[in-house]
Amino acid sequence: MLEGLNFRVLWEYMPFFMEGLRNTFLISIVSLFLALIVGIIACACRLSPWKLVRGLSIVYIESIRSTPLLVQIYFFYFGLPTLGLRVPELQTGIIALMLNSGAYIAEIVRAGITSVPNGQIEAGISSGLNYFQRMRFIILPQALGVTVPPLLGQAIVLVKDSALLSMISVMELTRCGQTLTSERFMPTEAFFTVAFFYLCIYFVLKSMADWSQKKLIFREAY
Amino acid sequence: MIKFKGVNKWFGKLHVLRDINLHVTPGEVVVVCGPSGSGKSTLIRCINRLEKFQKGELFVDGTPLHDHSTNLTKLRAEIGFLFQQFHLYPHMTALQNVTLAPINVRKMKRSDAEELGREKLIRVGLADKADSYPTQLSGGQQQRVAIARGLAMAPKIMLFDEPTSALDPEMIGEVLDVMIKLASEGMTMCVVTHEMGFARQVAHRVIFMDEGSLVETGSPHDFFDNPQTDRAAQFISKILTH
Amino acid sequence: MMLFYFERLVEILPFFLKGLWMTVVVAGISLLLGTFFGLLLGIARTSGNKLLVGLIGAYVAVIRGTPFVVQIFIVFFILPEWGIQLDALPAAILALTILGTAFICEIVAGGIKAVPKGQWEAAQSSGLTLYQQLRYVIVPQSLQTILPPLVGQYVLLIKDSSVVSVIGVVELTRVGWLTVVRIPEGLMVFSLVGILYFAISYPLIRLSNRLEKKMATQQMML
Repeated sequence: MLEGLNFRVLWEYMPFFMEGLRNTFLISIVSLFLALIVGIIACACRLSPWKLVRGLSIVYIESIRSTPLLVQIYFFYFGLPTLGLRVPELQTGIIALMLNSGAYIAEIVRAGITSVPNGQIEAGISSGLNYFQRMRFIILPQALGVTVPPLLGQAIVLVKDSALLSMISVMELTRCGQTLTSERFMPTEAFFTVAFFYLCIYFVLKSMADWSQKKLIFREAY
Repeated sequence: MIKFKGVNKWFGKLHVLRDINLHVTPGEVVVVCGPSGSGKSTLIRCINRLEKFQKGELFVDGTPLHDHSTNLTKLRAEIGFLFQQFHLYPHMTALQNVTLAPINVRKMKRSDAEELGREKLIRVGLADKADSYPTQLSGGQQQRVAIARGLAMAPKIMLFDEPTSALDPEMIGEVLDVMIKLASEGMTMCVVTHEMGFARQVAHRVIFMDEGSLVETGSPHDFFDNPQTDRAAQFISKILTH
Repeated sequence: MMLFYFERLVEILPFFLKGLWMTVVVAGISLLLGTFFGLLLGIARTSGNKLLVGLIGAYVAVIRGTPFVVQIFIVFFILPEWGIQLDALPAAILALTILGTAFICEIVAGGIKAVPKGQWEAAQSSGLTLYQQLRYVIVPQSLQTILPPLVGQYVLLIKDSSVVSVIGVVELTRVGWLTVVRIPEGLMVFSLVGILYFAISYPLIRLSNRLEKKMATQQMML
């Protein structure tokens, strides 16, 4: 099944794939970083005492979670020009990924914060710690441990999601596969190579997630 | 030191505190007892405002708690509070648990706070456990660290919310021992507990609560040997035969 | 101008509803098939047969580790090279079923592993056959753990089905894409698409949350 692969052409296209891989990396890292900021802000709003702020963040989180990412990408890709905004494809894609992952991260962070038992907060209140001191010394350190594994899980999802940017012609890994397919008509070579690279990224991130999970369980158990 | 004047509290429709009047003097040890759901935990949680109340006045060391302008954070630093479930911070060592508030609320230097913390841990008999994490300690040891954590703020009042009821029987003694020592040193204490031996030995006053009201109050001797109300008599016979 | 386009959009609303129906069909068939195969593989995964467990594990890792777009390209472009001709619709259903099976098999395996070992032993010692053990003792108990994430997985599958638009299946996202060429109001067109996805996903998300809460309270009572 693999003997028919044309390695000569693959070799010829390898620098091209490497650039695609690099772009996938960069897009994922930048989007993840921005999504973290968006997610933390959205989570803070979600837990805020003001109804309006809370309502807005719920609308944001739920509408992202109940619609497909591809639709969100098209929404910005076709929608921003209607508003008179000329944003290049790459930036449009990053905006979509950032807002998409941001909503999921908001929920991850919220789950982490609410996982800290109420008694911990009361103990902090009783010793006279103020809100920020309680956040800084008691809640966040405990919440952080629980959030690391699902955040790495979200990073895995984000890398895979970035493949959809190929639909708006961003030159990342999947787009490279499409290009090789249309230029030489070699879909087998093209997409197996692409899949191979994604799998490599997946295994690295997955083992990090498993490791952090194990550390977490270990810390809780002893 | 603590003065309740006609304090009332509702949880929704449930009337959990009814017209509480109570005066605790400095150095006094008060034991609060009563059946579960009688409002005794709520009563002492009001003293450092973990619970709000809707009607009445409450003064702690002269500071009005019903007044919204009161600086609660400052007041709470003066009151030690012990929980049934200890609530030690699991990500910090025993010493870090004890020094967190002195460093951040009292703005002590770390080295001073650590010296203070070790001194408090010695006082509760845990000098060798300073660097242990809560999960490495037994329940009794955890509760004693929690006491040290409260003492480190040099509180004027210590409140205990059923401090021994989550402990195995063989560990209750070590915690009560520390509390007895504290009482003999003149600390003002309010203790919700069913440990009647402790009440007899150190309490100046026993308060019996039922359905949100103060039903009876008296010296341990009077309360146990000569209860005035049927409800109290019933309660005592129940816990003594238990 | 906006109003003019809005009226055009209302005119072709039936087209959108047809797309929505196609989404429901594609996602519905795949999630039924995926549940069936996922259940089988999930049970097989807890069987203890090393070869079987290894093979299923590898399959799950490959599917989880690669983007769905890449998977659908492989199904659509590469199967024909091996002599298997598939139209867009069957190809889409096949790809979605492969995806759904992998995720559902993990959920099922997790649920079965959560049943205490004593339950297996009790069922064995009362002389039940393997099928009876699963049917009457193990699966009913694991259902509690399985159901909330399973419904959540259905939402993901419905959203992933938007990706099959790239091979030309005229479902909801594709309808949006075809419309935006004629009605250049990207925000409007893809808001409509988003609202229609929301209408099917959001009730399922609520259901999943409800099930999860119910499960949590039941566990507390145990």
